[in-house]
Amino acid sequence: MSIADATLVPTAKRAWLTPARALGLGLLGLLVLFALLGPLLVTVDPNDQDFAASLASPGADYWLGADHYGRSMLARLSHGARLSFGMALLTVATAAVPGILLGLLAAWSGGWLERILELVSTVLLALPGLLLVLILLAFAPGTFGPLYLGLALTLWIEFYRVTRVTAAGVLKQPHVEAARLLGFGTGYVLRSLVLPEIRPILITLAAFAMSTAIIAISTLSAISVGLRPPTPELGAMIVELLPYYAEAPLHVLMPGILIFLLVLGLQLATRSNLR
Amino acid sequence: MNAPVRFQSLTVSGLQIRAGDTTIVRDVAFTLSQGRPVTLLGASGSGKSLVAHAIMGSLPSGLSARGVIKLDDTDLLASRPEQTRARWGRTIAILPQEPWLALDPTMRIEGQVGEVHRYLHGLGSAEANKSMRDDLTEVGLGDRTQAYPHELSGGMCQRAAIAVTHAAGASLLIADEPTKGLDAALRDGVVERLREEVDQGRLLLTITHDIDVAAALGGMIGVMLDGALVEFGPAAEVLANPRHDYARALIGANPARWPIPAVPPAGGPIVTATGLSKRFGGKTLFDGFDIAVGRGEIVAIVGPSGCGKTTIGNILLGLVKADRGEVHRTTGIAPTRFQKLYQDPPAAFAPHQTLRQSLGDLLKLHGLAWAQAHASMQRFGLGQELLDRRPSEVSGGELQRFAILRTLLLDPVFLFADEATSRLDPVSQQEVFKILVEAVRERGLGLLMVTHEAALSERVASRILKLPD
Amino acid sequence: MKRLVLARLLQAGLVVLVVGILCFVLVRALPGDPAMRIAAGRYGPDANITQAAEQVRRELGLDQPLAIQLGTSLTQLVRLDLGHSVVTGLPITKELRIQLGATLWLSGSALVLSLLLGPPIGVLAGLKRGGWVDNASLGGAIILRSLPPFVLGLILILIFAMLLGLFPPAGYGTWRDMALPALTLALGLAAVSSRVARDAVAAVVRTPYFAFARLKGLPEPVVVRRHVLRNAAIPVVSYLALQAIYLIEGVVVVETLFGFPGIGHALVHAVIARDVPMVQGTALAMGLLFAIIAMAVDLACHWLDPRPKRA
Repeated sequence: MSIADATLVPTAKRAWLTPARALGLGLLGLLVLFALLGPLLVTVDPNDQDFAASLASPGADYWLGADHYGRSMLARLSHGARLSFGMALLTVATAAVPGILLGLLAAWSGGWLERILELVSTVLLALPGLLLVLILLAFAPGTFGPLYLGLALTLWIEFYRVTRVTAAGVLKQPHVEAARLLGFGTGYVLRSLVLPEIRPILITLAAFAMSTAIIAISTLSAISVGLRPPTPELGAMIVELLPYYAEAPLHVLMPGILIFLLVLGLQLATRSNLR
Repeated sequence: MNAPVRFQSLTVSGLQIRAGDTTIVRDVAFTLSQGRPVTLLGASGSGKSLVAHAIMGSLPSGLSARGVIKLDDTDLLASRPEQTRARWGRTIAILPQEPWLALDPTMRIEGQVGEVHRYLHGLGSAEANKSMRDDLTEVGLGDRTQAYPHELSGGMCQRAAIAVTHAAGASLLIADEPTKGLDAALRDGVVERLREEVDQGRLLLTITHDIDVAAALGGMIGVMLDGALVEFGPAAEVLANPRHDYARALIGANPARWPIPAVPPAGGPIVTATGLSKRFGGKTLFDGFDIAVGRGEIVAIVGPSGCGKTTIGNILLGLVKADRGEVHRTTGIAPTRFQKLYQDPPAAFAPHQTLRQSLGDLLKLHGLAWAQAHASMQRFGLGQELLDRRPSEVSGGELQRFAILRTLLLDPVFLFADEATSRLDPVSQQEVFKILVEAVRERGLGLLMVTHEAALSERVASRILKLPD
Repeated sequence: MKRLVLARLLQAGLVVLVVGILCFVLVRALPGDPAMRIAAGRYGPDANITQAAEQVRRELGLDQPLAIQLGTSLTQLVRLDLGHSVVTGLPITKELRIQLGATLWLSGSALVLSLLLGPPIGVLAGLKRGGWVDNASLGGAIILRSLPPFVLGLILILIFAMLLGLFPPAGYGTWRDMALPALTLALGLAAVSSRVARDAVAAVVRTPYFAFARLKGLPEPVVVRRHVLRNAAIPVVSYLALQAIYLIEGVVVVETLFGFPGIGHALVHAVIARDVPMVQGTALAMGLLFAIIAMAVDLACHWLDPRPKRA
């Protein structure tokens, strides 16, 4: 039974900075620092080989050890983190900007434009995203181009659909009708009424898309169709090290742990209510 | 079916409900007995539903009740949780508000009534089926046992919920806002049904904000304000002679008791429409409808829900296009001088903006000064502190007054009030209409109001247009 | 109901269209003579390739307008004339038949396993929100969702195959070979379905009909069984349509990681080898599998929820 007197019951306001969010933001901050500063501070070239140090354990010479070619894991991991962040950011930006703009446009104008965009997104959604990316990768395996194109092509749809549905929902509200009767123009409605309502969900979506891109790029590299060794890509590093899992299980896991922390940080930082 | 145990009376004394350290309901005491139902009246937020749930033993977690609630000789508040639970349905039943939401949408009503016989009374499936059929036949739904809730009307869902309480065999019935969301005609049917329950010897406690419902049920009336019972007595006495100020205001706020306004003479026409037709969802809402609203007059459109009343107002405002017909506005008037008030006040304000922001943006857009807004706020009884709140943190009545203030700033010539008070309590409704009628008299604006309440339109409007179903 | 089936048939049609067009472009975009490549894909290794290529050139009219060429190639697809693998020379349909069996086994067992894990935990968590089941499953779900399937699979291999020696790290044939790949997929699926179920149950618990079911006097287990489970199942089942995407994508990754001879594995290898007929065949099979799962989910939802659907 909905209790009509609920207004009588004092409610505690939920803090924006929950412990989970603080943890996520902290984690992301550290990882961003690692990705930005790591390659500057660790001056070792990630492709420098030192066979004497092959599969060295973490220690004084190599803080995080060295891989089978004796390359510094620390240098490779920080370059890998930078690569993952960079490629994911580029992909998500490419997907988000047109996705959001087209979503707003479709919600605002409706009509044939909306119908065409709906058709395009239905066509692209007919196939699971990874299949689309894989087919595109067949054009040029091992390069970033088709990977980037395929991911952006799959990811923009979610931005478009969420923006369109949420914006259309806001635009249907009486308060938008009231604002227009009161003389407010299109700019005000979009900027001051629609945007604040859709911003939180778009931020969550962007974080989700970042995670998807990071996971997809590393996964495709791990199954040898994405970026290829010796590029210090996290997924590619795992395949490279896989044959040595018996001798150096920690080395194999390290890039995986880094991916895990990246995605975990994104999840914790942006989910308003963790479920 | 088990014969229900009849109880003689329910006595509530010194009832307090607390949320942590805050007392949110206090000093509630009343007695109801066979043939003497009690009706608790009050605005939403007055704590009347909490009293119902305290009796039921179903307060939300975090709330606790103190005092004494006696059903004959049993103190309900002293019971262990499992005893409380065992009373649900068998002894005390609640008639839910908005029963179309309280029935399981994925189960046929035969299942929802029959399960009471099976799992409460332990009947076999054949017997349970027969009893279910009897219960539904008794409330006139014998031929609809196979229906899902979405296939039934609001009134039918209400009767199905009553059949459930009959099946359970409760002798104390608590009706929580039983007429919420129902049209006048359906409302009378529900009240009649509740009276039958009283005649059959059940104890009845009704929670409502509708004074007509309280008057029709008779028995005793209690009035609640801010968590306290401020008035209690026999219905006729309370309605004729309320002692407490709020009770007097509440009962006086019933439109039927409003003073009859002197109808001001109408000035020249502001907006005129002829031959309006509109179809919606394969149904003709209206065809060849004519309407004119002049300066300084109040025109009411009355009709049942879904008949297209709101659509007419929206056509006059240019928000909806008619299929046929023409709308003429007096030329030379700025479009922003045609305004609208909404049924659900919180929905008419951007949820994330404080009132200061939304009002400030409006003043800036039209080059107006804050002084003007402050003066109106004072006049409409709106405190300065409200400005820093968001719409969800302000009461519906206050928010609707803000909405009026907002439109009056633009010096409107035409105002369309779309069921503008249907979600407000009677006192807020009266306040809102007082302001509106004043604005019509002082500024000579034309007011078009849409309502399903005949009494309200008769008191306020200079002309009434009825739309058929 | 008819509309649901039609919508998914349309989706299946779109799958054929998208895969067909992409592979049509692909075969012409790769370096070398497309006629040679098409001939190899069409007639298999036994044919005299140069002669066959000439025939293809004439027959397909590679000098004809692209639209006509595309029409021919799509017609072949609709007739399920998928050609031969450029690498093995075997007919694609024959290869697919074997691989499809393996993939169906894997995805079926992963789905069943995830449904045995996820929703029951979710229901327990949803009935006692804030309890330890709720908190523990939330933590588990966040962690699992932060792990890409191949990292999760790697961890499972390290723990169960290397450390404990319980299951083989790779292979195909017995249920023991199936265990780790299926568990990898199932954990990822269950991480989501448990939270969907938890939220669905929590939403039902807040509804007026749940409150009324309790207040009318039904014992708690009856309320849960008759009113909570069915209503909460609706979002869980409809979410399976989205999870099918994760399943299909996961199958590709997990099969490759565990050397499991299914369609996903074949697709990845075809991409690396640029075996276009094989890419087309495997992508088509997986896309259609996705459409079929989605259709089954739609029909299940239709059966669970009697309310009329909003358009």
